[in-house]
Amino acid sequence: MKPGAPLGADLAIPVLAVGFAAYFFWSITDLAWEAKANGVIVGTALVVLAAIQIVRIAVKVAKGEGSLATDALWQPGDVLGKRIGMVLVTVAFIALLQVLGLTLALFLAMAAALVIMGVRSLAMVLGISGAVAVAAYILFIAVLDSAFPHGLIEKLLA
Amino acid sequence: MSWEFIANQFAAQFGLWWVIVPGILLGIVVGILPGFSPQNTLIMLLPLTLAIPVEQAFAFMVSLYCANHLAGGVPAILVKIPGSGGAAATTLDGYPMTQKGQAQQAIVLSFTASVIGGLITTLATLALLPWLSQIGLYLRSVEMVVVMLFGLTLIAVIAAKDTLKGMISGFFGLLIGVIGTDHIYNAPRATFGFLELYDGVPLVAALIGLFAVSEALVMIEEKMIVATEGRERAMRASWADTLEGLRLTVQKWWHIVWTSFVGLFIGIIPGAGASIAAFVAYQQSRMWSKHPELYGTGIPEGVIAPEAANNGVTSGTLVPMMALGVPGGTTAAVMMIVLQYHGMVMGPRLFTNNPELAYGVFVAMAVAYIFMIFTILPLARYMARIVLIETTYLAPIIILVTVVAAFAERQYLFDMALALVFGVIGYIAHKTNYHVTAMLIGIILGPLFEQYLVRALRISQGDITVLFSSTLGNVLWGFLVLSLALPILKRYFSRS
Repeated sequence: MKPGAPLGADLAIPVLAVGFAAYFFWSITDLAWEAKANGVIVGTALVVLAAIQIVRIAVKVAKGEGSLATDALWQPGDVLGKRIGMVLVTVAFIALLQVLGLTLALFLAMAAALVIMGVRSLAMVLGISGAVAVAAYILFIAVLDSAFPHGLIEKLLA
Repeated sequence: MSWEFIANQFAAQFGLWWVIVPGILLGIVVGILPGFSPQNTLIMLLPLTLAIPVEQAFAFMVSLYCANHLAGGVPAILVKIPGSGGAAATTLDGYPMTQKGQAQQAIVLSFTASVIGGLITTLATLALLPWLSQIGLYLRSVEMVVVMLFGLTLIAVIAAKDTLKGMISGFFGLLIGVIGTDHIYNAPRATFGFLELYDGVPLVAALIGLFAVSEALVMIEEKMIVATEGRERAMRASWADTLEGLRLTVQKWWHIVWTSFVGLFIGIIPGAGASIAAFVAYQQSRMWSKHPELYGTGIPEGVIAPEAANNGVTSGTLVPMMALGVPGGTTAAVMMIVLQYHGMVMGPRLFTNNPELAYGVFVAMAVAYIFMIFTILPLARYMARIVLIETTYLAPIIILVTVVAAFAERQYLFDMALALVFGVIGYIAHKTNYHVTAMLIGIILGPLFEQYLVRALRISQGDITVLFSSTLGNVLWGFLVLSLALPILKRYFSRS
């Protein structure tokens, strides 16, 4: 391993795992043993494994073989904006689904996502977004009659 | 059971082509799309399958089921998104083959391994049915606990470059799989206050998040899925590549045969399923290979093993259902409901009272596989073209469409948000080499693992040493320890 290799990102999953195990233990405190036996066994094994990993990284950092930098999660920097943008568009899509209905919400979210990804041709943005929204409408609304929220377009086409 | 009887069964099933072909086509669509499981599709189609005669209903269901197992490998190879848990192991070498510009060969290999593996194991099942049905009887809750831990350990050892990271991922998944109410008191555990989690973590949302969303967030770092050096080769892909895939199939025929039998035997164990079978076959294939170091870099054997095993499972899963009345998986359970609705009683009597149906199911499966090779093989060339789409377009489509598909399983908007949460966890895991496959398999096995563990503990009145009380279980523990120790010993001896 290169001296000073960023190892902080390697701690993310063990820390998440230990945090979740702690919450799991707390949530089963008052339950009967049958309801908590499995969680205790699996959770304890998980905490032990995560602790070994944390100690392993701590030893490397102490020896100067690594640092606690979290570069692996954010690199390469030039696509970080796109990545965060995609997550935010998805959050907005799910939030607006109830109001706009599947077809319109998907069309708008797809258009926004394509723009964030760097597509500048209006024809491409509208064409791809439209095609995806129409396909989703046909499959989920017209054919499968799923319980997706209905908005303006679904009501017009009903 | 005479040869004449079997020949008549084949003739009858070929006559049902008009039910089998639509079943195959629907199964392929359902298999390619993550979020659409065969069991959900069969449940949606229950009004149809309950209305038509039982022979036709079963031919349709079996065709859909087999085609689904076959098609799950397509997105696993092309975009590293397994269509189902059983295709998760296919990503290990299938996706690297795509990156090298060999997507078409990988898809052809996946199809041929699936069809040949499925066909051979189905014919073997037909011949060995009375004996195979006994295997499940030897596995009680203690052995099942060890089988599942063994499966998870294998995945951690095989899939992850770092075994400790693989184990952390696997156990993290196993604990996530326990979210929800327990089986005995219905007491909620770690649900974060969400009623939607009382039934447990929805598998489709976990699958979509961990594979599709996280992979799309990673893939935007490159212009295309195919690496620069493989791009030209992928653009030049022609029918010759399909023939090359077929040539590789002929060359590796023995590999297909024995890995499909691994799938068959694991399929017979109730609950074990395609996910474990594919990984065990992949591990065995690597263990017996002359060049194990090449696994994971995109080699044909790495696609053949999981795909042949994954389809070997299809006939195996139906064995305990037909012979014992214990469904080997969820799809088998749906099929059992249809059979029971038509007044069929599962168990050994089915073979004497209704042999046309009992053996006909497996004959229908064999016929479906024969039809499949002609239906799907010509499509490989066109399917492989998807990798030439730039990630600028591909990533938004994958993220938004698969998040929409997360809704399909339970029809909760909550599941779409959950898929995004799993996507972020999967992204962190991807970037730090904590294997998402181990995590997903842990989530899949979680509820079943708890069921068997609690059953074993209740029998022993809480004594945990019950897990070491059976000979077969102890042998499996030995294999588990060996699978963890062998890589360490191998490294030690190669250094010295």
